[in-house]
Amino acid sequence: MSELLTLARKELLDLRRDRIVWIVLGTLGIAVVLSVIVASLDYRAQLADYEAYVAQVTASGSGVTPAAPQLFPLQLLRGGMEYVEVLAALFALMIGYGSIAKERSRGTVDLLLTRARSGTSIVMGKLLGLAILWAAIMAAIVVIALVAVATVGGAAIGLHEIARMTLAGVAGWVYVLFWSSVAVAVTTLTRNSTGALLTLLVAWLVVVLVIPQIGDTMDPDNQIPGGLFKALAIAKADEHAVLAHFSTYESARNGLEVSSISKLYERFTFATLGIKEIYNGHSLAVVWDGTFRYVYGAFAFTAAALTFAAASGRRIHTLRRS
Amino acid sequence: MSTVATAARHELLASVRAKAPYALVAAFLGMVAASTFIGWRTTVTVTAIYQQVLADGLTTQPNPFTDVSPLYYVRNTVIYVLLIGSLMAATLGVQSALRDRRAETAALIGTRPVDQRAVRAGRLAGLGILLAGLVAITELITWISVSAVVGTPLTGSETLAVAGFGVLTWLLLVGFAGIGVLSGRLLRRERTALLAPVVVWAVIAFVVPQLGTAARPVSLLNPVPLPAQASGAFAWLSQALSPLAITEHFKTSSAALLGSPYAGSALVSALVVAVFACIALTAAILIRVDRTTGGTHE
Repeated sequence: MSELLTLARKELLDLRRDRIVWIVLGTLGIAVVLSVIVASLDYRAQLADYEAYVAQVTASGSGVTPAAPQLFPLQLLRGGMEYVEVLAALFALMIGYGSIAKERSRGTVDLLLTRARSGTSIVMGKLLGLAILWAAIMAAIVVIALVAVATVGGAAIGLHEIARMTLAGVAGWVYVLFWSSVAVAVTTLTRNSTGALLTLLVAWLVVVLVIPQIGDTMDPDNQIPGGLFKALAIAKADEHAVLAHFSTYESARNGLEVSSISKLYERFTFATLGIKEIYNGHSLAVVWDGTFRYVYGAFAFTAAALTFAAASGRRIHTLRRS
Repeated sequence: MSTVATAARHELLASVRAKAPYALVAAFLGMVAASTFIGWRTTVTVTAIYQQVLADGLTTQPNPFTDVSPLYYVRNTVIYVLLIGSLMAATLGVQSALRDRRAETAALIGTRPVDQRAVRAGRLAGLGILLAGLVAITELITWISVSAVVGTPLTGSETLAVAGFGVLTWLLLVGFAGIGVLSGRLLRRERTALLAPVVVWAVIAFVVPQLGTAARPVSLLNPVPLPAQASGAFAWLSQALSPLAITEHFKTSSAALLGSPYAGSALVSALVVAVFACIALTAAILIRVDRTTGGTHE
C-alpha cells in the first residue's frame, strides 16, 4: 500500500507542475460559469416574453393567463454538465495518456521498475494519483457551479442543492476515472505514443459524441424543429401510447445510447439535478429508483477500465522510447 | 520541380505512410457510410409513427416528411463531417507539422536555400490534395448509398448538390487542417498540440453557438436546426458572434444544398466557411514561428 501511495504522491507532484492541470480546471470552470450565464439570460428572456404576453392579455380584457416560467436553480447547470461530459472526458484522456507517455519519453520506466514491485503497481499508483487529482478538480467544479448558480443565477442554495450537486460531482469523478484508466491502459499497451494518442481520440469521439449523437438523431421527436409531436399537436399521454407501438425501435435506440458511459453519466446527473423534467422536484429515492441501472452501468464500465489498466501493467516492460 | 510541388508531393507521401491517423480516417469513412442508413431508418420509422398517429385520429396535420428529397437521408453526414472530419483534418495537420521535429530534420530543412513560405504552402497543398481525395471517397459513398436506398440513381441536379456539399466539406476540412498545422508548429508537446485544435473546435462548435442561441451544447449536434432565440441578449449576441459560428454556417449551407430545412442565408454561410478556410491557411503559411528543436516528448 505504501508503494502505491509513494507512486501516487510522485504522480501528484508531477501533475502539480504540469500546466495542463490548470488549463483543465480553468476551461471546465469557465464553461460551467458561461453556461449558467447563458441559462440565466435565457430564463430572463422567457420571463420578459411572458410578462409582455400577460400585459397583452390583460389589455385585451381576457382573464386567462398561462403559468409563468419557473426557475429551478440546478437546471441552470444543464449546459455546464454537458461540457463536463464532453470536455472533462477529453482532458481525463490527455492527462492519463501523459502520465505514462512522459515516463516513456524520459526513459524512466526502467528506473521505476527497479523501485516498484511490479508494472501493475506503477500503473495503479499513477491511477491513484490521478483519482486524487480528479477528486480535487471535481470538488472545485461543484463549488464553482454552486457559486455561479447563487451569484449569476440569483438562486438560493440550500442543503438540498449542495447534496445533489455533490452527487453529480461524484458521478463526474467516476466518469473521468473511467477515461483516465482507459488512457493509461491504452498508452501502456501501445508502443507508439502517437498511435496511443490517436486511438484515445477516436475512442473519445465515438463514445462521447458519435454514439449519443446517433441515439439523439434517431429520436422520432428530434426530426423537425420544435419537435415532431408538438408539430402534430399531440399530447404527452398520446405520444407515449403511439411510441408503444414502436418499442423495438425505441429499445434499440435506448440500447445504443446506454452503451456509452457518457450517456449513463448524463442520465444520472440530469435526474439528480432535476434537469430531466420527470425528476424535477422529486426526492433522491425517486431519482435512485429511476436511475440505479445507470449508476451500476457506470460503475461496471469504470471497474472494467481499472481492471484493464491493472492488467496492462504486466506488459509495461514492452515500453520503449518513441 | 518547384518548391511548392516538391513539398506537396512529399507531404502526400508522408501522410499516406503515417499509419497513426488511419483509425480516424476509418471512423470518418465508416460513419459517412452508416449515416445514409441511419437517416433512412429514422425517416421510415417516423413515417410509420405518422401513419399510426393518423390511424388513431390524433392529428389532421400533413405528414412533414412527404416528398422529402433523397438527399434528406444524408443530413447526418453533415454532423459526421463536423464531428469526425474536422478533427481528422486537424490531426493530419498536427501530424504534418510534428513530423520533421520528430525526425529531427526541421533544423536541416531550415539550412536549405528555399523559401520557407513555399515549403509551408506546398505542405498545405499536399494536405489539401489528401483531404480532397478523402472527401471525394465520402461523396462517392454517399452517392452510391443514397441511390441504393431510394432504388434509383441520383439525378444530375442531386449529383451536383452532392458535389457542392463535397466542396463545402473540403473547405471546412482544410481550414481545420490549417489550425492543426499552426498548433503543431507553435506548441511544444504532441499532447498539447493535439489538444489545442480540439479545444478550438469545441469552442467553435459548442460555445459560440450556445452564446447566440441559448441551445444546449450537445443538442447542437442534431442536424435539425433549433428554433431561433430572438429575444433578450441572444439576438444581439447571435449577430455579434455569427462570423465565429463556423460549424453552424457549415450546417446551414449544407442543409440548403441537401434539401433539408435551414434558417438564414445559405450563400452567406458558405462564404463564411470559405473565409474561415482562407484565414486558417494564410495564417498557417505566413506565421513564421517554428519549433525546430526539443522533439515532442511529454
